[in-house]
Amino acid sequence: MRVTILPAREVKEVDARTVADLLKALGLHRDAHLVVRGEDILTTDVRLTAADEVEVWPVISGGAA
Amino acid sequence: MRCHRCKAPANVEIRRSRTAYCARCYPDWFRQQVQERIDHERMFRRDQRVLVAVSGGKDSLALWHVLLKQGYQADGMYIRLGIGDYSRRSQEKSEAFAAARGLTLHQVDLKDDHGFAVPDLLDTRSGKPCAACGTVKRYHFNKVAADLGYDVVATGHNLDDEAATLFGNVVHWNTDYLGRQGPVLESTHPKLVRKVKPLYRLGERETAAYSIIERIDYILEECPMAKGAKSLAYKDVLNTLEEEQPGAKYRFLVGFLKEGRAAVRTGGFDQASDLRECTRCGQPTTTDLCAYCRMSDRGRQKAAAKAARYGRQPAAEPDE
Repeated sequence: MRVTILPAREVKEVDARTVADLLKALGLHRDAHLVVRGEDILTTDVRLTAADEVEVWPVISGGAA
Repeated sequence: MRCHRCKAPANVEIRRSRTAYCARCYPDWFRQQVQERIDHERMFRRDQRVLVAVSGGKDSLALWHVLLKQGYQADGMYIRLGIGDYSRRSQEKSEAFAAARGLTLHQVDLKDDHGFAVPDLLDTRSGKPCAACGTVKRYHFNKVAADLGYDVVATGHNLDDEAATLFGNVVHWNTDYLGRQGPVLESTHPKLVRKVKPLYRLGERETAAYSIIERIDYILEECPMAKGAKSLAYKDVLNTLEEEQPGAKYRFLVGFLKEGRAAVRTGGFDQASDLRECTRCGQPTTTDLCAYCRMSDRGRQKAAAKAARYGRQPAAEPDE
């Protein structure tokens, strides 16, 4: 499936059966990212297909004192 | 996964409590969590004026959004830190949020009003301005709140921020800071405004989900100066642990606040003790000249040196 990783909008083709698998394949923490399909945020158990197009949103902010 | 409330397909899972919510039920759940903390910690009442420290990011805008939805008198304040395009875009997001809702957004411009910007405050050892940037923010949010008669300053610090700060203070055994960490920092001086963190039990994944579902347009990019910051390394360690042990961050922070803080609390004060007024700016401090004034002197010297090197005019001296 086609995965767009924000904020740089880097595009990758990834094979993954579920959202959890997708994050694992990308080496990303579940608690540090949201996966969005269309306008819907997806839970990690949602099944994905090769035809899906999803976005990965990072949620970590930092640098605070 | 199904919504814990209505059993529709879920959108946002809360792994630490093994629950999930759909996009219709989630915002209500999120606002209830914030309200419960405001009430339980007695952060502020609806007849009090709240100043929200706004950065243009998901946490501060989500907090402002929740407070307005819950019927609080909440104005915003944004500091123009002078971090290039990042500052310009975060200012645009903050201004757009306020303008779309007819809200008051106070602003301070570091460069124009005070003669330096955050990139002038690099720490010589770490090469990062993050600690100094924190001092700048605390100083100006407090000063504007005190000058304009706000009862409380509310910041968007979330569970991940607080757990990372706690982790760093434990790693380095900063017992003085450990004793002061908490969701409410009481005023200890007439010019020191109470500070509260209503989102401190909600993860940043949860504030991001709230912002996306409520269509809050926030700045997604990370501050370019924070790359390599220690706080991000601590968050990464804690998120690695969270993968294996959902709820570890929550238990670490909440357990500390319930059980550990009293044991390390060194003085029984909330923000600082033995406060007097800075001989230059009049703000509360423990020394003759406050940390902000000492730091801004160095920042202005750096800014002037840069201006001389690159042929630009230095910014005007502030009238502090």
